[in-house]
Amino acid sequence: MSFFSKNRKTSGSIAKDRLKLLLVADRVSCSPQTMQMLKNDMIKAAGKYVPIDSGNVSISFRQSPPVLMASIPLKTQTDI
Amino acid sequence: MSEVIVVTSGKGGVGKTTTVANIGTGLAALDKKVVLVDTDIGLRNLDVVLGLENRIVYNLVDVIEGNCRLKQALIKDKRSSGLYLLPSAQTRDKTSVTPEQMKKLCEELKNQFDYIILDCPAGIEQGFKNAIAGADKALVVTTPEVSAIRDADRIIGLLEAEELRDIHLIINRLRMDMIRRGDMMSVDDVVDILAVPLIGTIPDDENVVIATNQGEPLAGKPGVCGQAYANICRRILGEEVPFLNLDNKKGFLGRLFHK
Repeated sequence: MSFFSKNRKTSGSIAKDRLKLLLVADRVSCSPQTMQMLKNDMIKAAGKYVPIDSGNVSISFRQSPPVLMASIPLKTQTDI
Repeated sequence: MSEVIVVTSGKGGVGKTTTVANIGTGLAALDKKVVLVDTDIGLRNLDVVLGLENRIVYNLVDVIEGNCRLKQALIKDKRSSGLYLLPSAQTRDKTSVTPEQMKKLCEELKNQFDYIILDCPAGIEQGFKNAIAGADKALVVTTPEVSAIRDADRIIGLLEAEELRDIHLIINRLRMDMIRRGDMMSVDDVVDILAVPLIGTIPDDENVVIATNQGEPLAGKPGVCGQAYANICRRILGEEVPFLNLDNKKGFLGRLFHK
C-alpha cells in the first residue's frame, strides 16, 4: 500500500493541515488569508537575517493565556 | 465530594447524549449515585436513549418554576440502581431557564448525588450558557471530522472564557480502517490540534446504534465500546487506566503478515 501512496497526500493529513490553519484564524478571529500573509511576512522578515526552511514554518495560537507561537526552522549547514 | 460534569460539543450529532447515557450507566455500575440532567429544553432526547420516555411526569422546567418538588421529577433508571434522570421539557424553549437557576439546581442536586452529568444542547447560545453555568468540569465530545473539531475548538475557547478550565476530550466514532489508510485523522492528530487532555476514545460501532434502538446503554457490557465507556468512568473517578488499543482487529491479510 505504502509504495503507491508515497507521493499522495492522504485526506487525513489534508484535513489536519486545513484545520490547523483554520483554527489559528478562528482563535484570533482573523481570516485564513490574513494568517497566511502574517506567516509570509514572518518568513520574509526572519529570512533577511538567517537562512530559513520556509516550507516547514508553522504558526499556532494558544488559547489561555493567548499566545501567538511561531515555529521557524532554520536550514542546517548540510541543506545549504 | 460531588461533581457537576457538563458534556458538550458545539456541533450536533457527534454523540453527546449517547456519551451521557453511557457514562451515567458506567458510573452507577461503580456504585456511584448519579443523576443525568437533560438541559436541551425543547429537544428532549436523553429519556429515549435511556429507554425511560414512558415514565416522565414532571421535567426540569417544572422543578425550576416550582410546579413540583425535585424528587417528583427524578426518574429512577430501570436497570442501574443509583442512576436517575431529570428530563428536559419538550414544549418549552431555552429561555425558560436562566444560568442562575441552573446553578442553584446543580447545588441542590449536589446534596443528593455523587455525580451530576449535564447533557448540553448543540450550539453556543442560551442553552449552552445554561448548561455550563453550574458545571465544575467539562467533557468535550468530538468526532475526527473537520467540522466537529472546529466547533470543539470554539467550545473549548468559550469554556475557558467562562473560567471552566477542567476540560477533557472524548473522541467518538473512530474508524481504525480509515485511520490506517490515512483517510481519517488519528487520535494523536485530534489531540495535537485541540491541545486538551484526552479522557476517552470510542470506536465507530454498530452496537451503539443497536443499544440506542433498544434504549439500553452499553457501558460495561462485553464489546470494545462497552469497555471504552467503562474506562472513561474509571478515569473520571481518578484511576489511571491505559487507553484501549482499538487497532487489534486486523483483517485476514493483516493477521497473516503482522502475526
